[in-house]
Amino acid sequence: MRFVLRMAARETRASWRRLLFFFVCIAVGVAAIVALRSVIQSARGVFGTEAKALIAADVVFSTSREWSDAARAAIDKRLTEAGATVRTETIETPTMVRPADGRAVARVAEVRAIQAEFPLYGALTLQGGQAFSHALVENHGLVVRPELLTALGVAVGDAIVIGQATFTIRAVLAKEPGRGMGGFSLGPRVLMDYADLPSTGLLGFGSRAGRQLLAKVPENQIDALVRATRQELRSEFANVRSYRSNEDQIGRDFDRAENYLSLVGLIIVILGGIAVSSVTRVFVLQKIRSIAVLKCVGARSAQIIAVYILQVVALGLVGSLLGVGIASAAVASIPYALASSSSLLAQAHYGVTASAAAQGVGIGVLVSLLFSVAPLLQVRFVKPSLLLREESVRGKRDWLGIAVLVAVAAGLVAITAWQAASLRVGLIVCAGFTGLAFVLTLAGRALVAVVAPLANSRSFPLRHAVLHLSRPGNQTRVILLAVGLGAFFIVGVRSLQATLLNEFSVQVSDESPDMFLLDIQRGQVDGVRAFLSDPAHGSGDFQLIPVMRARVTGVTGRQTTLESVEEVRRRGSLAREYTITYRDHLESNEHVREGRFWNGPAPEPEVSIERSIHERFNIDVGDLMRFDILGRVVEARVTSVRDVEWRESRNGGFMFVFRPGPFDQAPQTFVSPLKGPSDPASRARFQHDLVEKFPNVSVIDFREVLETVRDVMSKVTLAITVVGGLVLFSGALILIGAVAMTKFQRVYEAAVFKTLGANTRTIARMLLLEYGVLGALAGLVGSLGAIVLTWGVSRYALEIPWRIFPRENVGGVVLTAILVAAIGVLSSLDVLRNKPLSTLRAE
Amino acid sequence: MIELREVSKTVMSGTEPLTILHPLTLQIPRGQFVAIVGPSGSGKSTLLGLVAGLDSPTTGHVIIDAVDITALGEDALAKLRGEKIGFVFQFFHLIPSLTAYENVIVPMEIAGIADAPARTDALLDEVGLRGRAHHYPSQLSGGEQQRVALARALANDPPIVLADEPTGNLDSHNGRHIMELLRTVHTRRGSTIVLVTHDAELAAMADARLVLRDGRVVENTVGAARVAVHSEMRSRA
Repeated sequence: MRFVLRMAARETRASWRRLLFFFVCIAVGVAAIVALRSVIQSARGVFGTEAKALIAADVVFSTSREWSDAARAAIDKRLTEAGATVRTETIETPTMVRPADGRAVARVAEVRAIQAEFPLYGALTLQGGQAFSHALVENHGLVVRPELLTALGVAVGDAIVIGQATFTIRAVLAKEPGRGMGGFSLGPRVLMDYADLPSTGLLGFGSRAGRQLLAKVPENQIDALVRATRQELRSEFANVRSYRSNEDQIGRDFDRAENYLSLVGLIIVILGGIAVSSVTRVFVLQKIRSIAVLKCVGARSAQIIAVYILQVVALGLVGSLLGVGIASAAVASIPYALASSSSLLAQAHYGVTASAAAQGVGIGVLVSLLFSVAPLLQVRFVKPSLLLREESVRGKRDWLGIAVLVAVAAGLVAITAWQAASLRVGLIVCAGFTGLAFVLTLAGRALVAVVAPLANSRSFPLRHAVLHLSRPGNQTRVILLAVGLGAFFIVGVRSLQATLLNEFSVQVSDESPDMFLLDIQRGQVDGVRAFLSDPAHGSGDFQLIPVMRARVTGVTGRQTTLESVEEVRRRGSLAREYTITYRDHLESNEHVREGRFWNGPAPEPEVSIERSIHERFNIDVGDLMRFDILGRVVEARVTSVRDVEWRESRNGGFMFVFRPGPFDQAPQTFVSPLKGPSDPASRARFQHDLVEKFPNVSVIDFREVLETVRDVMSKVTLAITVVGGLVLFSGALILIGAVAMTKFQRVYEAAVFKTLGANTRTIARMLLLEYGVLGALAGLVGSLGAIVLTWGVSRYALEIPWRIFPRENVGGVVLTAILVAAIGVLSSLDVLRNKPLSTLRAE
Repeated sequence: MIELREVSKTVMSGTEPLTILHPLTLQIPRGQFVAIVGPSGSGKSTLLGLVAGLDSPTTGHVIIDAVDITALGEDALAKLRGEKIGFVFQFFHLIPSLTAYENVIVPMEIAGIADAPARTDALLDEVGLRGRAHHYPSQLSGGEQQRVALARALANDPPIVLADEPTGNLDSHNGRHIMELLRTVHTRRGSTIVLVTHDAELAAMADARLVLRDGRVVENTVGAARVAVHSEMRSRA
């Protein structure tokens, strides 16, 4: 044992510099794991302590319709039974707001009408530290978010118009618990008095108002109350949640985020592990004589393997600790980055948590160990007789080798499953990674084969550059894998972003609709039509489409029979609220796949379903579907299945289209896709004038949505690019390490070449070409992968047309080639500098 | 005592089997200084490798102190080498990442010897390299490296020292120095020494000669020769 420890220390002393880069690679991955886990755990702490404030109550009942008498009665009864002490109601609705001074601006905002008791827990914070009191909103007062002031060009004290009523802005809202946690919102928050809402006229039929009933309930009654009311409100389209179920949900979301995000770090660690494996193989080859000597003086194979494993584990441990150090620095800088943020996340105390650090170090050491064991087994095949005569070590696969490989694979799956907290995810990630690595390796090998004929080139440097790619002990495959994977991440996500932005731009820029009117009442249809037809307003083509909101409550069919709302709910998204329409024709972006589309109205309800409903829920032509359309039960026979070209769906893509007839007189609102005026000033005036005349109508401006999408997407792209950058960085480290590893061999070769008359420039050109070709191959591998990725995502996930983006792809290949060539040559500088004689004499 | 019974070695040369050592039977008494001589390719080093258990014979048995080493596994062979055999190579074969001192102490550490540091110092003294103890092999001359290798071979005070052309890679001055050291080891410690060389002058310093040509023995004075005068100094088995 003493021998093993001492020998490991001596070997580490001798070779840590050469192995350093591989363990820095492990450090980068460990840092990613530790930092991500720590940040998410810290953020989670805030949410944990504020669980009640997040929903402002113990229990919240919510509905997207008006409360039915039955639901009201049931809730009242249960709350009384549970001994609820305080309750309050709020209504949320998106709507247009505009300044009262007649300036031509209008904005979508999210209005929340609140009573005096709101919030039951937590506090609303105003800008400037002023305390919120309900008196601020009484008598047509408003408290608004600062973004609205900027958007409308108004200030505290100014009057703005919402619906049919005029309000005064009394204060600016800084923080509202539970809001702004990354959820999608249509516009800035506006708080008004519950009593003032009716005066706006926004609660008319078809409004998209959401109603909440908040209550304080004795702690021991909460769970029973939630259970009982959920049961009773099953068919009421109402939702019940307690701060605790909310907390659980948030907890699960955090768990998932933590586990999945840290897989990125794990992939970097595994990449480092692959590099460790590859370098260990080379290391054993280089140490072959020393190993033979040790055997000659009495060391057993197991002792020698133990020496090297100890060395790898020690370096893995140092790398992991370095990773924890990097993570600490990164995490410590977060408060500075969030200093100006009003988000709840800025309140968290960020620091590396002990559990994250322990996991990071554990993974770093385990991965180093797992990946070095298999190549170290080769030590067993080193024969001491090679000290007497030249003989090569032939690697063999024996049962021990196979058993170790199986154990290593199982260990990796276990680590991944542990990190993802799911065996299934662990298996999928491992299989995916293995598949990807396999494909990248195959692609790399194929590409090396493709360039192999260059070995017959007339150019001396090119010939040798290509030969070097397949020299013994080369690191070509592992560099291709690591650098290729990094390039794949970056080029892939950039291409996806380009694909999506391109798609949105096409949608917005052509002659198709770029504005969308919502909530047009039946009585306003003629007025709106007249307004839109008036050339003075500058808008183009438009359509007025009647819509209703409906839920599926049952299906009686050949393959699928769902008796109750409960059974429909088990089918997931089938239970969501759908917007439906009726018409007597197919739109230009639709065609019938199965059945026949009707001709003209009929007295009996018929429905045409979209293909995905047919495919996902096995609902066929001839089946009967039961709908709840605003409280009315409608049973309709499915008479056709439509394909909808969603890309061209701005004229309205609907999952369910009904045959006209039964709905003509039903309560409904209208939406209108239209081509708005072209310049921003007329667009603003158009919105203002429209809202002035029809105050309840909301306008969605696709051009603004595009801006938001662009913004969100560039943030997501940046995040993924950072990840890709880390992977690429690891690739660069592996590359530097590989160069350092084989340097002595190169120094020797360069010396021989120099002796044979090659000058430094020729050798530099040789190196440049070798790494340039390697980098180009890695870029090509990544780029091809990215093309496959965008093709798959475009075709199957987004269903948008696929195209290649030459800038991203060619740029990716060129930049990777330059990067690898530069790193390769820079880290080989002393190969160039060495004087041949001293090198040859040293040999 | 080293005993070879009908030992031969055949290797594959391309697709053809090639016998590099024809069946040979030989006994080397304890304490004898034997020189194996012969031209390149005559099978000298192969024979030495078989005695050290570095290689296994195609036929026959190698018996060292009544133990048939041809029946031993790799690990048992390693243990036997650590305890009984010191080996000196033509190309030194020091571990480049270790200092002279560490190269010498390693066999003792493997064998778990308690006073290893003191013995290492003594051994380096014996080969005259105390002052170079913390130099790496690349910082030593060829002669110095071979003296370190000799000290390493003596680390566990083995009853048998095998030397494969130990002077073959040295100039004549350093070569003589090494030979003197080997002679001293033989006389002072009474070790059995088997020296492979093609230098007749060096071979003349031995008690007995085994001459090989094309894998066959052409002259053998081993066993017949008198055992080294100082063998009685050996107190060990």
